[in-house]
This record gives sequence, structure tokens and C-alpha cells, in this order.
Amino acid sequence: MGTDRYAYLSRLRRVDPVAKVWVSLAVLLLCLFSESIAVGLVTLAVMCLLNMVLGGQRPGTVLHFIKVPLAFLVIGCLTIILRPLAEGEPALWSGLLFGRFRWGVTQAYLHMGLMVFCKAMGAISAMYFLALNTPMTDLILALERLHVPKLLVELMELIYRFIFVLMDTAGRIRVAQESRLGYGSFRKSLECMGDLVSLVFLRAWRKGDRVYTALESRGYDGSLTTLAAAYTGGGRLYAWGTAVAALQAATLLLERRLLM
Amino acid sequence: MKRSNYTNMRLLAALTAVLGLSTVSASAMHIAEGYLPKAWAFGWMAVCVPFVAAGFLSIRRKVERSPKAKVLLAMCGAFAFVLSALKIPSVTGSCSHPTGVGLGAILFGPTATTILGLIVLVFQALLLAHGGLTTLGANVFSMAIVGPIVSWAVYQGLKKAGARPAVSVFCAAALGDLLTYVTTSFQLGVVYGNVGEYLTIFAVTQIPLAIAEGLLTVVVFNVLEKYSTAELRELSVL
Repeated sequence: MGTDRYAYLSRLRRVDPVAKVWVSLAVLLLCLFSESIAVGLVTLAVMCLLNMVLGGQRPGTVLHFIKVPLAFLVIGCLTIILRPLAEGEPALWSGLLFGRFRWGVTQAYLHMGLMVFCKAMGAISAMYFLALNTPMTDLILALERLHVPKLLVELMELIYRFIFVLMDTAGRIRVAQESRLGYGSFRKSLECMGDLVSLVFLRAWRKGDRVYTALESRGYDGSLTTLAAAYTGGGRLYAWGTAVAALQAATLLLERRLLM
Repeated sequence: MKRSNYTNMRLLAALTAVLGLSTVSASAMHIAEGYLPKAWAFGWMAVCVPFVAAGFLSIRRKVERSPKAKVLLAMCGAFAFVLSALKIPSVTGSCSHPTGVGLGAILFGPTATTILGLIVLVFQALLLAHGGLTTLGANVFSMAIVGPIVSWAVYQGLKKAGARPAVSVFCAAALGDLLTYVTTSFQLGVVYGNVGEYLTIFAVTQIPLAIAEGLLTVVVFNVLEKYSTAELRELSVL
């Protein structure tokens, strides 16, 4: 599901997940803190390239995931750029809404909107470097090494497994309903949806019951202990991370120099 | 449905899609990665800390009392994820995803919902790119703290006041859903200085969806009440 399917195919799958977490987070935070258009675009390009070159992801896959948050970002950034103006405020473009209210685009907000957009795209590509190269199970085990409370880690492990079980259940129920002419009108779809949701909940609850019985009969004493897979060291990845960070810093300095 | 009626619906759906409303409502629940300025992103994380800590402690107490609670809570978390991935029918003809905030808060209580919501949001950010890591604080605050607390308070209040169960469930779910989006609009609007604009785009378009989610939750609750009183009783113990 989602990024996970591609993460299992990644060439970086066997690399220490902790290294991937730190490198992605460092690049992400640098992009966020520099608040510049150039750094955002450079991060976007470099992280997408690294995803393809180091991770071996196909360009189409990376592009597909980059497009996912676009809807939110485009609308969110248009709201920043296009705003009500005071009388006589200088603007690049302005128009009257309903013939009364003056709306328009000012230089400052245009820059701000573009900056937010580029910064967010850079940050998203850094997050994808983590998500597209680390299967969720490895990531959850890595969280334990990063001293996240054990109860939380175990809950995450269990929830992750159960998501697939319940998705499957929900999918089957939906097919069964649709093949019996469900979801025809608004009223009908509300009823069908209600049946679906409550049935999935009931099945989840009973399945939880059975999982617990199965665990208990195998000596469950309150915690699930699993062994992490053998990983290769993340030395090379740290080097790449440092290089990207240096590139980001250089871009920021260059942009400052040019704009001064 | 009559043919002309059908065409009308199609037209309406196309219109909303053109206006961008359908895309907004489908993905507006999560603030995307990197959209908030750094101070706000980390500020919201700090605001969430006490709530998350309280939720964690309450869950730990439940698990210590009965180890079975862990497996059941995990099932509930997975249920919340699956619920938010379903498409609900909407009055305007566009489709949206339920937040599941109201149902979660009524079934599991606000403190457990905070932790389950946090985990679900992490999964959504990494697996589906809904939301992000640095905006996790803001998203958790609107979706796993404000929404559930409002829903829970409305539900308990109306139940005490003697309203019919269907009415209190509907109000709890619809208001929880709506206030989640109002909170998101404020989070965005305060930062970029135009609360009103975000409110109209993100919250007003949500009103029909909030009503749909309220109706859906009532239907779900009726079925659960009819067929699974034993589970519901166990849940209130949990």
C-alpha cells in the first residue's frame, strides 16, 4: 500500500534505517529553516535524483508521489498570494470581487506564496527519501532504537499489521455490496456505508479477541519481541547526506549574495 | 434515479470539481509537509506534548490492568486508519473521506483517541503522503486532540441532558468533524494573516461533509447498538 510497496524494492532497503531517518530529517529541516525558493527547488531536484539513483526507484513512481500533496499546496498557496487589498495599496494585479471588494496580488505576498510552495516541495521530497526506501516494519523497529517508548512501538507494529487485514475485509464487503446494487442513491450509500463501517468494526473487535487468544496460547506475556534484520552500515549514506546539506548551504549563500 | 436528475448531479459534481472544492475536501484535512513556518510547526508540537503524554499514561494504565487491551487498542487504531481511507457519499455529489474523529472519541474516549490518532497520522504521512512529519504537531492538535475532545464533550453533555442517542451521536460527529477543520483553518490563517479566507475555503466547504459524516456515524452506531452490546460494554470498561 502507498509508498511501502516501492520501499520493499528499493536498493537501499538493507541499509541501516536509523541512517536513513537522520539523513532525511537533516535535509528536511535544513530546507525548512532556510526558507528560500532556490534551496527548496535544489532540495526537490536532488532528493528526487537520489531516490532514483541510490534507491533505484523509477522516475514515474517518484513523480506520482510528488503529485499527491499538490492539490493542497496549490490551493493553500493561492490563498496566500491572492488576498483582499486596502484602498490604494500598490499591487501587481488587482480586480474587484462582486464589484465592491478589491482583491489582488502584491509583490511581497507573491514572493511569500512561491517561497512556501518551493519550500514545501523540497521538504516533501526529503520525506519521500525516507518513505520510499524504508519499509514500515524496519522503520518501526528503528524507532525503538531511537528510544521511543516500547508500548508505542508495539502498538505501531500491531496497528500496521492489522491495517492490511481490515483493508482486505473492507474491500471484500464493498465488492459484495456493490454487486448487490448497493450505493445507488445518496440514502442507499449512507446505509451501505454504515453497514460496512460497523461490520468492519465488529470483525476487527472479534479478530482482536482471537489474536489475543492465539498469542496467549503461545506464551504471550505482554510484549512482542522480534529481531531486527541484519543491516549494512549507513556510512555511505551519511556522506551523501553531508554532500546534500553542503549543497543546500551553498545555494542559500549564493541566493543571498545575488539578491543583496 | 431519473435520467435528467442524474445529468444534473453529474453537472453539479463537475462544477464542484472545477471549483476545486472536491480536491480541497478530499485532502484538506492534513496540512502538507513544509507548509508551516518553522516556529509554528514546532510550536504546535510543543502544544501537543501534554495531551499526548496524558493519553500515553492512560493507555499504559489500561494495558497494565489487562494485557488484552493492547491488542484491542491496536485493532481500533487500524480501524481508524481504514475508516479514514474510505470514501463517504456527500450531499454535493463530490466524495470525501470521513475523519472518524467522532466515532473514535465516542467509542474509545478522547485520551486513547489522541494516541491512536498520532500513530495513524504518522502512517498516513509516510505511506500516503497525507500530512507530514514537521506538520505532525499541527495535524495531531486539530485531528487527534480538538476534534475528539469536542465530540466526546458534546456526546456526554447531550446524553446527560437526556437527548435521544441518535441526536447526540449526530451532533458529536458533525461538530467534531467541523471543528477539526475550523482548527486547521485557524492554524493556517493565523500564520499567513487571513483567517477568513481559509475559513471559507476549508471549513465552509466542509459543512455538507460534516453533515454526511454525522448521518453516517448515526447509522454505524445504530447497527453497533443492535448487534454488539457486549463489545460496547467491554469498551466502556476498557
